[in-house]
Amino acid sequence: MKDIDEILRNNRPVVKDNPTFLLETKHRLEAVEGIKAEVDRQRSYGRTALIVALAVGLAAGVLATAVAFLWPVDAKSVEEGLWQSIRLFLESWKQYLIYPVAVLAVALSLVVSTGRDRKSFC
Amino acid sequence: MTRERFIEYVRVEQEPLRRFLLALCNGNASLADDLAQDALMRAYVASGSFLGLSKFSTWLLRIAYNCYIDHCRRFVPDKVPVEQALDVPSVEASDASFRYEGLYQALERLPEKEKAAIALFYFEDRSIKEIATILDMPQGTVKYLLSTGRTHLKQLIRL
Repeated sequence: MKDIDEILRNNRPVVKDNPTFLLETKHRLEAVEGIKAEVDRQRSYGRTALIVALAVGLAAGVLATAVAFLWPVDAKSVEEGLWQSIRLFLESWKQYLIYPVAVLAVALSLVVSTGRDRKSFC
Repeated sequence: MTRERFIEYVRVEQEPLRRFLLALCNGNASLADDLAQDALMRAYVASGSFLGLSKFSTWLLRIAYNCYIDHCRRFVPDKVPVEQALDVPSVEASDASFRYEGLYQALERLPEKEKAAIALFYFEDRSIKEIATILDMPQGTVKYLLSTGRTHLKQLIRL
């Protein structure tokens, strides 16, 4: 295989000098500037919406966990009503509440840290 | 990324980019430059999503390879299986950018993925890991493609 290796390494394609290539690239970049701005705007909007959604979910999860553990409900003495139903539901599942809260916390930190990497490159 | 910054990157990376596409396009410099422009526009529009996890050149070559694959899907050439292609003369228009004509004709007959792996490894001096990133496949597959590519080239050039 040494021969074919040598032939390949010694005969790489020769790119002809094309002075108009960079000039044409600049013109085309100007033309797509509007598209890029819109794509960047959409991406920024999507990222902000994701961070807000994760933060709200995390806050709600922490609050629910706190309520479930700090104010335990006696199932026998629960009255009718939406709020009591929610508290009863949290009481029944409180040992599992930590998992979705942890997932939300990890997701939020990943999204925020990924954005920080991007800024450092650009 | 600002336009000026992007142009600075392009100034450095345009030669490897054009050479890679020239190899994929079988020496058709006009088509290679068109695909390079297309790849650069896509890269610029998507530059906000570049996380810097790989080198800029690796990211750019990956976009260029995707542009080439899209082009191949739009214009499917009459392909001859490698085993039957030994005595088939070249019909592709070319500006003879490859100095070694036999190698040029042989590369033209390789499957696209083999050709891309060979071009990146031998013409661009990319590592197996980088090639795997660019072609979006496991490193083992890249090694396999390089091995079969070399065997096919050896058959086609008749060393």
